Parts: sequence; structure tokens; C-alpha cells
Amino acid sequence: MRLNVRFAGSGGQGVILASVLLSKAYGLGENYNIAQTQSYGPEARGGACKAEVVISDEEIDYMKVEKADVFVALNQVGYDKYIDTVKDDAIILINSTLVESDRPGVYRIQATQRAEDMGKPFVVNIIALGALTRLMPKIHSPAVEEEIKKNFNASIAGPNLEAYRMGYEILDEEMKKKGYKTGFGKRSRF
Amino acid sequence: MDVKSEKRNEVVLQGNEACAKGALYAGCRFFAGYPITPSTEIIEMLAGEMQRAGGAFIQMEDEIGSACAIIGARWGGSKAMTATSGPGYTLMQEAIGFAAVTETPIVIVNVQRGGPSTGQPTRSSQQDIYQARYGSHGDYEIIVLSPSSVQEMYDFTIRAFELAEQFRTPVILLSDEVVGHMREKIFIREGSEVIKSEKHRYVVSPQEDFFKGANTTVEGQLHDERGRRIGHIATKSGDFIYNINKKIRDNIDSIASIDTYCMEDADVAIVAYGSVARPALNAVKHARGIRDDRILPKTRIIRDLFKRGFSKTLKTDYSHLKVGLVKINTVWPFPEELLRQATGNVDTVIVPEMNIGKYSREIERVLKDKLVVPMAKCGGEIHTPTEILDKILEVSGLDEEAVK
Repeated sequence: MRLNVRFAGSGGQGVILASVLLSKAYGLGENYNIAQTQSYGPEARGGACKAEVVISDEEIDYMKVEKADVFVALNQVGYDKYIDTVKDDAIILINSTLVESDRPGVYRIQATQRAEDMGKPFVVNIIALGALTRLMPKIHSPAVEEEIKKNFNASIAGPNLEAYRMGYEILDEEMKKKGYKTGFGKRSRF
Repeated sequence: MDVKSEKRNEVVLQGNEACAKGALYAGCRFFAGYPITPSTEIIEMLAGEMQRAGGAFIQMEDEIGSACAIIGARWGGSKAMTATSGPGYTLMQEAIGFAAVTETPIVIVNVQRGGPSTGQPTRSSQQDIYQARYGSHGDYEIIVLSPSSVQEMYDFTIRAFELAEQFRTPVILLSDEVVGHMREKIFIREGSEVIKSEKHRYVVSPQEDFFKGANTTVEGQLHDERGRRIGHIATKSGDFIYNINKKIRDNIDSIASIDTYCMEDADVAIVAYGSVARPALNAVKHARGIRDDRILPKTRIIRDLFKRGFSKTLKTDYSHLKVGLVKINTVWPFPEELLRQATGNVDTVIVPEMNIGKYSREIERVLKDKLVVPMAKCGGEIHTPTEILDKILEVSGLDEEAVK
């Protein structure tokens, strides 16, 4: 099994942090091999940012992603840049506040909107991570929650956990309606 | 702290963080550095952890100061390291020459980014492969290790300290942005290793640290065992140069290290180092799955009957592309003998590297009887397995259409 996950967005949205939390949850919580890489410009904020996670039950040779099984886009530029390098049956999750897509089967989460409603605009990535976790195969939600608790100071872990659960539950409802176990739907390769 | 422990912990770490942890395990207790992308995480982690381990951390004014400070610290008795990237590494060259001539065991980490000059701060490259070997002026040998995974970043850092002490020489850990910034699950050890400095017969400089009672002169001019200048005596100076080169060259067997994958029956070899070895391995696995129906493999059966004997030929599957990988761990000194042995039966060698095609020259020099195909890639992106696979098909005389 090799699961290729790609995150795209703008520098400052927390693209890399979301990918790190996901990779740690798979690596430590679920005991898979993981490789997390990233690519960004010299700017601290703004500019294109991409993060990739490879999850496998074997040794990982190539550590980057050629064709993605899972693609998360937090902004339009990232979506447009990488939408052509996903597999046909890929899970695609978009931050629908900022990204428009007419592709069928795309999962949507209003991450930026919801984060602003919470009064904590910095949790965009964690809301998206919550939604993503519900879509991903081979992972249990507590594994990610555990990593959120470990990687944030106590003062900031609370809002992040809240944001994570919000994202998770929004997608949980959608998936229950569809009767899907994972975002791949009924014909899952995983 | 100085207790060797075999307890291993499983952690998810970035390559740079693994390097910092490795240094602490190897007993490094002095770090001086100046932050530069993409090596900053090493400095960031050691800024906190070095003091906790009872060592000293200094953020210096620049890389020249950093390299000089660790030389001083080592003569004061502390194992010392600095970390930088291309522009900073260029500034360190003078000090590296000084460390080579004074035979000071230090470790310098170069997490390569795109050059020349300020170049591409956040992108990867392997453009410093020759600078790592020939950066400072004069004749000296140096040891350069090239990790390709986070685990190797940890292991090779420890190895770098061992080699530095063993041969009293600066050792370069030549990483790159991809490995430095990649996170993987690795095993790290608890406690700290005691690496002893060995007395080496070719070492000519004083080997006693300061404050240990001996009269030690650390001299940048060519010198004798007590540090007295000998630059005006041609014979002695010549011997000195031979000695600091010989101590590494004559011990290449215990320094050089390569890894091979599927080389036993390979016709085509990929020779790679650092992060590029990873997509290369993926390409090898794919190539091994591609059916090869040309006439060439059948003629190979006859060749192998003579060359490798009946039983080995019988056991070989000739229906697939025979591709193997040689991953070079110690890029300098160049592992000539190991490479020759590993590529004995191969006719073609592909050398993918993230630069204009530098290291392939060294491989051409050693493998004169083989076709060496350089596969340069500049711009900051690592080779993809597809690109390497296309090259394999091209040199095998197959294109993708023919395979289908």
C-alpha cells in the first residue's frame, strides 16, 4: 500500500503544519512508514506552498508525490497548479471559501469561513485536517487528536482540537449520508 | 551523560533535527553557527538542547567565525560541529584548509541549496559536490558523507564524528534540502557515545588538546609533531603533504561505503548519492517489472554462460530489464574499488544528480570501459522516478511505447 497525499496552499495558511500532524499520526499513531516533504519560496507569508506526505506499509523509496491519491487545496492558485497531477479516483478536498471547482466528487469544507466565525482565523489548516482525517483510510481520529495535543502548547491546543473536531464532524455527516467508509467511496483501493 | 545505551526510541523527525540529535549522541558539546536556510533547524534545535546536554552553543557573527570557533573548541577538548548551506560553506573554506593542515577533527554540515551565490534558498541541489572535496586551496584529502534519508542523517552524523576523530581530519556531512527538510520515522538512541581519538601513524600535528599538560602549537604553516614550522624545508614539507593525504587514502577500505540494490545480475546500473538515490531506487523497482522482449537479453544468456557460469545463468530471469542501483554513502574519498567491484558485469551506468553533471566525471574516470550516461537536473527539483525510468528505457534501446 502506498498512499500519496498532497497539500497545496499559500504560505501562512499552515499547509506544512497540517501535513506534519497527519504524517505523525500515521507514523506514530498507526505505525506506518511515512515521508513528509515540502516546497516553498523564500517569503515568510504568501507565495505558493506545497507539502507532501507518503504513507506506506513498506520502506518508502521515492519520498515525493508524482500522482496524488489525496489532494487538499487551501487556495485557488494551489488547486489550479496541481489538479492535473491527481489520480482519477483521488480524494480531492477543497477549502470552498477560497477555491472554486466544477469537478464532480470533490469534497468541500468552508475552512476559512468557519475559522473566521470561530474568531481564530489561524485554524484554517486544522479544520481542513479534521475534514481530511474523516476521508482518509487506515487512520483513527484519536491518533490525530493525540498529535495535536502533543504538538501545541496547552493554551492553544484547545481551540485547535475544537477546530479539528468541527472539520471532522462536518465531513462525518456528509459521509454518513453517502454511506461511504472513506473518501474513496465504495470502490476503495485501500 | 557519557553512557553508551542501546535503548532505541521511535520518533518522527526532520532530517536537520535528526542531524542535531546525532551530534548530541556522538558527544558533540560545542556548536557555533550562523542560521541559513535550509540548515536552520539544526541550529534551532541545538540552541535549546546543547545547553541541556551541558555543552555550549554560540550564534556567531558569520560563517567564517563559526568554522574558526569550532576549530578552537576542538583544541580546547570539546567535540564540535557547525552547520550551514552553500553561501556559508563558501565562507568556511579558509577554516577548512586550516583544520586540514592542523589536523583538527571537526564536523561541518552542508545542507545544499541551489547556487551559485545566494541562489535558491529554499530549493535543493547537489552543486557543492566538488566544493566539498576541493573547496580550500592546497593538497589535502577530506572525508565527505552523503545521507539520503532521515535515518542516515542521524547515523552519518555519528559516523562523521567517529571518522573525524579516527583520522584527525575535518569531515563534511553533505546533505541537501530534500533530506534536510524531510520528515521520516526513525530510531534514535538514548544517552551518548564515547568516541575516542585514535593515535594515527600518519598524523604529524600535535594531538594533545590544550590544558592537558603538553606544549601544543596549532600552526597553519606546515609543521612537525610539536607544531614547529617546517615550511622552509622542502623534504619535510613534502612528507607532511604526503602524510595528511595518505592517512585517508591508505585507509579508504575502512572509510568507503556503498549500498547496492539488485546489482547481482544487472546490465544497467544507476549510480546515485544523497536524496537522488531514493527516486532512483523506485525507478529500479519499476524497471525490474517491465518485460524485455528484445533480442539483446537472449544474447546475454550466451555471454553469461561464459562469464558467470552455468548455474548462475540458469537461475537468472532474462525476461525483465536488468537494472540495479549503487548508492554511494562516502562521496569522498571516491570509493573506486567498491564501485568497480559492484559494477563488474554492467555495460552502462546512469548517473542522475541535481547539478550540471559533475560527479559523473569521476565515475567516467574510474569506469573507463563502460558507457557513463550523465543525467543532470538543475533548478531545484529532485529527479522523479519517471524521468529516471525514461532514461533507463532510452539507454536500453527501448522507449515507453515499445514496452507496452
